[in-house]
Amino acid sequence: MNAIHWMASAMLAAKVKLEVAADNLANASSDGFHKHVARTSAGPDGLATSTALSSERGATRYTGRTMDLALLGGGTFSVAPGRNAKLAQPTRTGAFMCDREGYVVDQQGRTLIGKDGNLVRLPHAMPIEPDGTWRDGGRIVARLALPAGTTVRSGFLEGSNVNAIGEMIDVIDAQRAFETAQKTLSALDEARSKAANEVGRFK
Amino acid sequence: MNRAMFAAATGMAAQQSNLETIADNLANAELPGFKGSTETFAALTDGQNGLGTVATGKHLVFEQGELAKAGGPFDVALDGPGFFALERPDGKFVYTRNGQFHRAPDGAVRNADGYALVGVRIPQAALSVNVEPDGKTYVDTATAKHTFVGRIRPAEFVSPESLRVAGSNVFEATSASGPPSYVDAGRDGAPKLAFGMLERSNVSVVEAMMEILAAQRAYEANAKGVQAADEMLRVANNIERS
Repeated sequence: MNAIHWMASAMLAAKVKLEVAADNLANASSDGFHKHVARTSAGPDGLATSTALSSERGATRYTGRTMDLALLGGGTFSVAPGRNAKLAQPTRTGAFMCDREGYVVDQQGRTLIGKDGNLVRLPHAMPIEPDGTWRDGGRIVARLALPAGTTVRSGFLEGSNVNAIGEMIDVIDAQRAFETAQKTLSALDEARSKAANEVGRFK
Repeated sequence: MNRAMFAAATGMAAQQSNLETIADNLANAELPGFKGSTETFAALTDGQNGLGTVATGKHLVFEQGELAKAGGPFDVALDGPGFFALERPDGKFVYTRNGQFHRAPDGAVRNADGYALVGVRIPQAALSVNVEPDGKTYVDTATAKHTFVGRIRPAEFVSPESLRVAGSNVFEATSASGPPSYVDAGRDGAPKLAFGMLERSNVSVVEAMMEILAAQRAYEANAKGVQAADEMLRVANNIERS
């Protein structure tokens, strides 16, 4: 590792940081989105950047749609692409609707899975009880698997956990870090150019 | 940088369709029975890296609007879920929450577009009309009082969110919404009819204005992201020269 390589890795690190911040900014309005956090550390090969998913929760807001569900507490919804309960995926995005057969589907067409591992099916759109059950006249029609201490609310959605101000700062930070590394790189290049071309020249 | 630039650009595109949806809500905020929509977004990813966002479409919000006293000749509001079923001149059925009707000379009860309310006809001789909460409609004439002339039965859908907007404040059924089922108003869980009232739109102007501001700023933030990526590319291009 020489200084030029160090500067190159610093520029790469700034690039990754900008990519992460731009993706987060783009998703500042995506419900249930969890931002990525870029962490840069110095290693034997220069600066290394890793990204991790933030577990911070977004703010919950009122939407008024019966089938919008927000988890108050930990846990996730389990959704199945193509109605195949075996391919269950976790999500915290709670914008669902009833399809015409009464299955509860999200915006990407994935079907919600209940506590018993089967697809949730309702007679029509109806509010969920905080304990994760749908009741039709006292009878339980469907139930969600919720971790202890978590409740669920109809008519609310968990928003994105992206903080636009923080991401803007990261954008500027990455941009300036990139410029600094480039300037240093140019200075190093110039010094080497002097060493190669001017030292030892007789006039 | 290119990934950053494209991610930021997807954000700008998403906020643009968001602004269009909010503008549509605002434009119809004074229309009786109008239901606002919200735009939803989902993250785009290749499995490892975030690639920005995508607008996943407009979603109707069927939240009940406030009921307000109205002075029209045949104003009626739905209190609860469901729709008024209307027959278009071409024989097709459409559905609306806007209960602003008038008595047409042919006896039909029509909305402003001339679509006929299904289930009731008002005879010429009727002097006054009354719709009970269960939808049963009675008229008084010079010779007879309280004559039954039909019943308004609200149409309900399993998946109202899947209805298609078919013009000014009217919807049509789609294969995803399922066919309408006509319910007896006034029953447990079914809507009630409020005669002499109109349902206000469920769009709050103040909230919509706030949403516009937020969408505008989000658009700008994404534009800044594009700018930063562009600037970094410029710097990278200058490595050799400076």
